Amino acid sequence: MEILSGIGFKDVEFRGRFDPFRTTTKESVARKFGVIGVNVYARKPN
Amino acid sequence: MAIACPMDLDTRKLHDEIQSIYARVAEDPSGDFHFHRGPDYAAEFLGYDRSALAGLPRQSTASFAGVANPHLMGPIGEGAVVIDIGCGAGMDLLLAAKSVGPRGRAIGVDMTEAMAEKARSSALMAGLRNVEVRIGDAMSLPLDDASADVVISNGVLNLTPDKSVAYGEAFRILKPGGRFLYADIVVGSELSESIRRNVDLWTG
Repeated sequence: MEILSGIGFKDVEFRGRFDPFRTTTKESVARKFGVIGVNVYARKPN
Repeated sequence: MAIACPMDLDTRKLHDEIQSIYARVAEDPSGDFHFHRGPDYAAEFLGYDRSALAGLPRQSTASFAGVANPHLMGPIGEGAVVIDIGCGAGMDLLLAAKSVGPRGRAIGVDMTEAMAEKARSSALMAGLRNVEVRIGDAMSLPLDDASADVVISNGVLNLTPDKSVAYGEAFRILKPGGRFLYADIVVGSELSESIRRNVDLWTG
Protein backbone atom coordinates (compact mmCIF):
# COMPACT_ATOMS: atom_id res chain seq x y z
CA MET A 1 0.00 0.00 0.00
CA GLU A 2 2.87 2.35 0.87
CA ILE A 3 4.52 1.59 -2.46
CA LEU A 4 1.35 2.52 -4.35
CA SER A 5 0.98 5.79 -2.45
CA GLY A 6 4.67 6.56 -2.94
CA ILE A 7 4.31 6.18 -6.71
CA GLY A 8 1.48 8.70 -6.71
CA PHE A 9 -1.71 6.64 -6.55
CA LYS A 10 -4.57 8.08 -4.49
CA ASP A 11 -7.46 6.50 -2.57
CA VAL A 12 -5.47 3.29 -2.06
CA GLU A 13 -7.48 0.72 -0.11
CA PHE A 14 -8.25 -2.95 0.32
CA ARG A 15 -11.70 -3.81 -1.01
CA GLY A 16 -12.17 -7.46 -0.19
CA ARG A 17 -10.35 -10.42 1.37
CA PHE A 18 -10.33 -13.99 0.11
CA ASP A 19 -8.91 -17.37 1.09
CA PRO A 20 -7.56 -18.82 -2.19
CA PHE A 21 -5.32 -21.41 -0.54
CA ARG A 22 -8.08 -23.14 1.44
CA THR A 23 -8.00 -26.92 0.80
CA THR A 24 -4.79 -26.69 -1.29
CA THR A 25 -1.56 -28.45 -0.37
CA LYS A 26 -0.16 -25.04 0.61
CA GLU A 27 -2.97 -24.22 3.05
CA SER A 28 -0.86 -24.80 6.15
CA VAL A 29 1.94 -22.56 4.81
CA ALA A 30 -0.59 -19.86 3.96
CA ARG A 31 -2.08 -20.07 7.45
CA LYS A 32 1.36 -19.98 9.08
CA PHE A 33 2.29 -16.72 7.37
CA GLY A 34 -1.18 -15.19 7.17
CA VAL A 35 -1.30 -15.25 3.37
CA ILE A 36 -4.63 -14.13 1.91
CA GLY A 37 -5.98 -12.84 -1.38
CA VAL A 38 -7.09 -9.21 -1.54
CA ASN A 39 -8.71 -6.78 -3.90
CA VAL A 40 -6.83 -3.49 -4.04
CA TYR A 41 -8.22 -0.21 -5.39
CA ALA A 42 -6.07 2.75 -6.40
CA ARG A 43 -6.64 5.79 -8.60
CA LYS A 44 -4.23 7.88 -10.66
CA PRO A 45 -4.89 11.53 -9.80
CA ASN A 46 -6.33 13.91 -12.39
CA MET B 1 2.18 -6.49 3.41
CA ALA B 2 3.75 -6.87 -0.01
CA ILE B 3 6.71 -9.21 -0.29
CA ALA B 4 10.03 -7.49 -0.96
CA CYS B 5 12.51 -9.25 -3.20
CA PRO B 6 16.02 -9.82 -1.79
CA MET B 7 18.75 -8.13 -3.83
CA ASP B 8 20.35 -11.49 -4.64
CA LEU B 9 17.21 -13.37 -5.66
CA ASP B 10 17.81 -15.06 -9.00
CA THR B 11 15.19 -13.13 -10.96
CA ARG B 12 16.01 -14.95 -14.21
CA LYS B 13 15.29 -18.26 -12.49
CA LEU B 14 12.10 -16.80 -11.02
CA HIS B 15 11.00 -15.59 -14.48
CA ASP B 16 11.72 -19.00 -16.05
CA GLU B 17 9.99 -20.90 -13.26
CA ILE B 18 6.86 -18.76 -13.58
CA GLN B 19 6.80 -19.30 -17.34
CA SER B 20 7.22 -23.04 -16.90
CA ILE B 21 4.45 -23.40 -14.32
CA TYR B 22 1.90 -21.31 -16.19
CA ALA B 23 2.71 -22.95 -19.52
CA ARG B 24 1.82 -26.25 -17.83
CA VAL B 25 -1.39 -24.72 -16.47
CA ALA B 26 -2.28 -23.57 -19.99
CA GLU B 27 -1.60 -26.98 -21.48
CA ASP B 28 -3.22 -29.09 -18.79
CA PRO B 29 -5.15 -27.15 -16.13
CA SER B 30 -6.34 -30.42 -14.60
CA GLY B 31 -2.75 -31.33 -13.73
CA ASP B 32 -1.22 -31.49 -10.27
CA PHE B 33 -0.68 -27.96 -8.92
CA HIS B 34 -0.60 -26.49 -5.43
CA PHE B 35 -3.16 -23.79 -6.27
CA HIS B 36 -6.78 -23.98 -7.37
CA ARG B 37 -7.87 -23.44 -10.96
CA GLY B 38 -11.08 -23.21 -12.90
CA PRO B 39 -14.56 -21.71 -12.88
CA ASP B 40 -15.90 -23.62 -9.87
CA TYR B 41 -13.03 -22.31 -7.75
CA ALA B 42 -13.61 -18.80 -9.11
CA ALA B 43 -17.29 -18.90 -8.17
CA GLU B 44 -17.05 -20.70 -4.83
CA PHE B 45 -13.91 -19.07 -3.42
CA LEU B 46 -13.79 -15.68 -5.10
CA GLY B 47 -17.39 -14.70 -5.77
CA TYR B 48 -17.40 -14.72 -9.58
CA ASP B 49 -20.80 -14.83 -11.26
CA ARG B 50 -21.37 -18.43 -12.38
CA SER B 51 -23.66 -17.44 -15.22
CA ALA B 52 -21.08 -14.97 -16.56
CA LEU B 53 -18.40 -17.66 -16.46
CA ALA B 54 -20.69 -20.14 -18.17
CA GLY B 55 -20.89 -17.71 -21.08
CA LEU B 56 -17.15 -17.88 -21.69
CA PRO B 57 -15.21 -20.58 -23.58
CA ARG B 58 -14.28 -23.39 -21.23
CA GLN B 59 -10.61 -23.15 -22.21
CA SER B 60 -10.43 -19.61 -20.84
CA THR B 61 -11.98 -20.46 -17.49
CA ALA B 62 -10.32 -23.86 -16.92
CA SER B 63 -6.85 -22.32 -16.60
CA PHE B 64 -7.94 -19.45 -14.34
CA ALA B 65 -5.68 -19.28 -11.28
CA GLY B 66 -6.42 -15.87 -9.75
CA VAL B 67 -6.43 -15.08 -6.05
CA ALA B 68 -9.29 -12.57 -5.69
CA ASN B 69 -11.84 -10.82 -7.89
CA PRO B 70 -11.18 -7.34 -9.32
CA HIS B 71 -14.62 -7.25 -10.95
CA LEU B 72 -16.20 -6.86 -7.51
CA MET B 73 -14.72 -3.35 -7.25
CA GLY B 74 -17.32 -1.84 -9.54
CA PRO B 75 -18.08 -1.85 -13.26
CA ILE B 76 -15.25 -1.06 -15.63
CA GLY B 77 -17.51 1.11 -17.75
CA GLU B 78 -18.77 0.96 -21.30
CA GLY B 79 -16.35 2.29 -23.90
CA ALA B 80 -13.33 2.10 -21.59
CA VAL B 81 -9.86 0.88 -22.51
CA VAL B 82 -8.92 -1.80 -19.99
CA ILE B 83 -5.58 -3.53 -19.61
CA ASP B 84 -5.21 -6.92 -17.93
CA ILE B 85 -1.64 -7.44 -16.69
CA GLY B 86 -0.88 -11.16 -16.79
CA CYS B 87 -4.13 -12.07 -18.49
CA GLY B 88 -3.40 -15.79 -18.58
CA ALA B 89 -5.96 -17.75 -20.59
CA GLY B 90 -8.22 -14.71 -20.60
CA MET B 91 -11.05 -15.22 -18.13
CA ASP B 92 -10.80 -11.78 -16.51
CA LEU B 93 -9.89 -10.24 -19.87
CA LEU B 94 -13.01 -11.58 -21.57
CA LEU B 95 -15.25 -10.52 -18.68
CA ALA B 96 -13.71 -7.05 -19.00
CA ALA B 97 -14.23 -7.06 -22.77
CA LYS B 98 -17.92 -7.78 -22.27
CA SER B 99 -18.11 -5.03 -19.66
CA VAL B 100 -16.61 -2.33 -21.91
CA GLY B 101 -18.67 -3.38 -24.92
CA PRO B 102 -17.90 -2.96 -28.62
CA ARG B 103 -16.90 0.70 -28.23
CA GLY B 104 -14.27 -0.23 -25.66
CA ARG B 105 -11.07 -2.26 -25.86
CA ALA B 106 -9.65 -4.99 -23.66
CA ILE B 107 -5.92 -5.56 -24.01
CA GLY B 108 -4.27 -8.46 -22.24
CA VAL B 109 -0.57 -8.77 -21.57
CA ASP B 110 1.06 -12.09 -20.69
CA MET B 111 4.62 -13.35 -20.81
CA THR B 112 3.60 -16.96 -21.49
CA GLU B 113 2.93 -17.59 -25.19
CA ALA B 114 0.73 -20.62 -24.48
CA MET B 115 -1.52 -18.55 -22.22
CA ALA B 116 -1.62 -15.62 -24.65
CA GLU B 117 -2.63 -17.92 -27.49
CA LYS B 118 -5.41 -19.40 -25.38
CA ALA B 119 -6.68 -15.92 -24.55
CA ARG B 120 -6.66 -14.94 -28.24
CA SER B 121 -8.48 -18.04 -29.39
CA SER B 122 -10.97 -17.73 -26.52
CA ALA B 123 -11.80 -14.18 -27.60
CA LEU B 124 -12.43 -15.44 -31.14
CA MET B 125 -14.61 -18.28 -29.85
CA ALA B 126 -16.59 -15.80 -27.74
CA GLY B 127 -17.03 -13.46 -30.72
CA LEU B 128 -15.31 -10.62 -28.91
CA ARG B 129 -13.63 -8.39 -31.48
CA ASN B 130 -12.53 -5.78 -28.97
CA VAL B 131 -9.83 -8.02 -27.47
CA GLU B 132 -6.10 -7.89 -28.17
CA VAL B 133 -3.39 -9.92 -26.44
CA ARG B 134 0.26 -8.88 -26.37
CA ILE B 135 3.31 -10.73 -25.15
CA GLY B 136 4.97 -8.76 -22.40
CA ASP B 137 6.07 -8.48 -18.83
CA ALA B 138 4.54 -6.57 -15.92
CA MET B 139 7.93 -4.95 -15.38
CA SER B 140 7.94 -3.42 -18.87
CA LEU B 141 4.45 -3.21 -20.33
CA PRO B 142 4.15 -2.97 -24.13
CA LEU B 143 1.73 -0.06 -23.90
CA ASP B 144 1.85 3.71 -24.37
CA ASP B 145 1.80 6.23 -21.54
CA ALA B 146 -1.68 7.31 -20.40
CA SER B 147 -3.45 4.88 -22.71
CA ALA B 148 -5.73 3.04 -20.27
CA ASP B 149 -8.86 3.96 -18.35
CA VAL B 150 -8.62 0.90 -16.11
CA VAL B 151 -5.84 -1.56 -15.31
CA ILE B 152 -6.73 -4.91 -13.80
CA SER B 153 -4.59 -7.84 -12.69
CA ASN B 154 -5.20 -11.01 -10.72
CA GLY B 155 -2.58 -13.01 -8.86
CA VAL B 156 0.30 -11.79 -11.00
CA LEU B 157 2.00 -8.80 -9.39
CA ASN B 158 3.05 -10.85 -6.37
CA LEU B 159 5.24 -12.81 -8.79
CA THR B 160 7.22 -9.78 -9.91
CA PRO B 161 10.63 -9.28 -8.30
CA ASP B 162 10.21 -5.52 -7.84
CA LYS B 163 6.71 -4.32 -6.94
CA SER B 164 7.59 -0.65 -7.27
CA VAL B 165 8.55 -1.14 -10.93
CA ALA B 166 5.39 -3.14 -11.69
CA TYR B 167 3.12 -0.65 -9.92
CA GLY B 168 4.98 2.17 -11.64
CA GLU B 169 4.21 0.61 -15.01
CA ALA B 170 0.50 0.48 -14.13
CA PHE B 171 0.69 4.15 -13.12
CA ARG B 172 2.48 5.06 -16.37
CA ILE B 173 -0.09 3.50 -18.69
CA LEU B 174 -3.15 4.85 -16.84
CA LYS B 175 -4.80 8.05 -17.98
CA PRO B 176 -5.21 10.75 -15.32
CA GLY B 177 -8.15 9.67 -13.18
CA GLY B 178 -7.74 6.05 -14.30
CA ARG B 179 -8.33 3.20 -11.88
CA PHE B 180 -6.02 0.36 -10.87
CA LEU B 181 -8.17 -2.59 -9.74
CA TYR B 182 -5.98 -5.51 -8.88
CA ALA B 183 -6.10 -8.74 -6.97
CA ASP B 184 -3.06 -10.10 -5.23
CA ILE B 185 -1.84 -11.98 -2.20
CA VAL B 186 -0.48 -10.33 0.91
CA VAL B 187 1.28 -11.83 3.90
CA GLY B 188 0.40 -11.01 7.48
CA SER B 189 3.84 -11.57 8.97
CA GLU B 190 7.45 -10.69 8.20
CA LEU B 191 9.21 -13.36 6.12
CA SER B 192 12.76 -14.45 6.79
CA GLU B 193 15.52 -13.87 4.22
CA SER B 194 15.77 -17.61 3.50
CA ILE B 195 12.07 -17.78 2.65
CA ARG B 196 12.23 -14.68 0.45
CA ARG B 197 15.16 -16.20 -1.49
CA ASN B 198 13.21 -19.40 -2.16
CA VAL B 199 11.97 -19.28 -5.76
CA ASP B 200 9.63 -22.23 -5.14
CA LEU B 201 7.78 -20.23 -2.52
CA TRP B 202 7.66 -17.13 -4.73
CA THR B 203 6.00 -19.13 -7.46
CA GLY B 204 3.70 -20.81 -4.93
